Amino acid sequence: MSEVYEFLCIRCPKGCRLKVMVEEGRVTVDGYECLEGKKYGEEEVKNPKRIVTSTVRILNAKYPRLPVRTAEPVPKDKILDVINALKGVVVKAPVKRGQVIIENVAETGVDVIAERDMECVEK
Amino acid sequence: MKDIVIIGGGPSGMAAAVRLAEKGYDVAIIERKEELGGILDQCIHDGFGTKIFGVALSGPEFAGEFIEQVQKLGIDVYLKTYVKSVEASGKVKEIITVSPDGVEIIKTKSIVYAIGCRERHQFEIKIGGTRPAGVYTAGMVQRLVNLYGILPGKNVVIVGGGDVGMIVARHLYLEGVDSILVVFPEEFFAGLPRNVQQCILDFGIPYRPRTVVKEIVGKDRVEGVILVQVDEKWNPISGTEEFYPCDAVILSVGLVPYTKKLTDIGAEIDPRTKGPIVNEFFETTVRGVFAAGNLVQIFDYVDDAVESAYLAAEGVEKYLRGEERLERPIFINPGENVRTLTPHRVEWKDERPITAFMRPAIEGKAWIIVRNERGEILEKSFRRYVRPSTLERIEISRDILENAEEVFIDVRGL
Repeated sequence: MSEVYEFLCIRCPKGCRLKVMVEEGRVTVDGYECLEGKKYGEEEVKNPKRIVTSTVRILNAKYPRLPVRTAEPVPKDKILDVINALKGVVVKAPVKRGQVIIENVAETGVDVIAERDMECVEK
Repeated sequence: MKDIVIIGGGPSGMAAAVRLAEKGYDVAIIERKEELGGILDQCIHDGFGTKIFGVALSGPEFAGEFIEQVQKLGIDVYLKTYVKSVEASGKVKEIITVSPDGVEIIKTKSIVYAIGCRERHQFEIKIGGTRPAGVYTAGMVQRLVNLYGILPGKNVVIVGGGDVGMIVARHLYLEGVDSILVVFPEEFFAGLPRNVQQCILDFGIPYRPRTVVKEIVGKDRVEGVILVQVDEKWNPISGTEEFYPCDAVILSVGLVPYTKKLTDIGAEIDPRTKGPIVNEFFETTVRGVFAAGNLVQIFDYVDDAVESAYLAAEGVEKYLRGEERLERPIFINPGENVRTLTPHRVEWKDERPITAFMRPAIEGKAWIIVRNERGEILEKSFRRYVRPSTLERIEISRDILENAEEVFIDVRGL
């Protein structure tokens, strides 16, 4: 069985449109104009990772949402799991930038951290 | 009296303030919001700082780095303070501010404006129809979603294939908006390829190239839009109109430098960048008044905006020291295939090369050429690939400018 993926190379501003085919574990890349693109296509299909950014509910703060992100990139197919794990999470101010909000989110081995300080606001 | 007052506490304003405070000058920042950080507080996605810090930070993190430095250096910060008017023509400049404490006059030897840009809206891109609720700019949506957790709608149309539009599309997708459609008149997304991949293709968000919103439909709330296809010249193709139901329209149709405050004090504006005319140290046409960041021109990366602020800081120092200027300025003009170019002129005696930022009008392999008015090539550098969505940065050596009255910069395709 073969699978075909489409990617846009992000190695240079040209942005080649790549077609990557996976057939029995064998990867072939089409549409690249330099070797960087070929390499990018291969990596992107083998182990694509992304930083996931979102927000969680925060109490006693200036705003009702606290921006958070995964401390490291997580596998692309885990993005939605990470987002779902953040639903319903409520934290309380004060929070410090870099503070861990969720450990090992969605079993990725990666923590979710706060993107900013949020002071406690008396209301 | 202050040595420098910086108007605007976003990344560029903070960068200029930090650089000047490090040099030992007495600096103050005036910010109209209740905290420093500018637009970065709503840009919660990552990718900021790769040039300056060598790692991809989120917007709030990038701002946080600078806020910490501002605090450490003990820079005076006036929050919730609005600049009412400025008297900038003399050596001593007066800034009249309004804040919850009342009206105040701040005296300073120099000013750096770093007040950024604003978003273009539907009346600037000729969208017709009614004026129902549910029409937003992309930045407004970013703010609602990322700071307040409010979604603009369940079925949204995003107008514009630029970077902000794509980033907003991803956020809305992840935050659970049912249906998203991105439309734009170009053949493909106008923003950076990395955003096309990471925001659109990663999630299979639908998009329609060569398509624009002709009309917004709805009485009290948005009920839909009339989409129409366009040709290469963006002219509507008749007979292709289609009603598309949606409950929100999000406009991501470009940014414009917010120059009203500068024209108020008599600074000249470049019709191409729509920002102020500046010299190589980002001084406007009003002596001792500098500009930095997206107020000067729209930068793709905050890192480049910050670099413009560092250049402005060097200029402020030269101004405060009363360093010598050239007898007459050398003009740097956009030549072939250049959409925008900053700076516009060289005015100071200095050794350092001139950093210029330019947006090419063409796409492909190219030479960037510095030539004189007689067409003689003074300097050139090769680019493997240029495109209008990517701002190019070049350095021009000072020695090639000797005896020149003006030079031109061309982008020549191969």
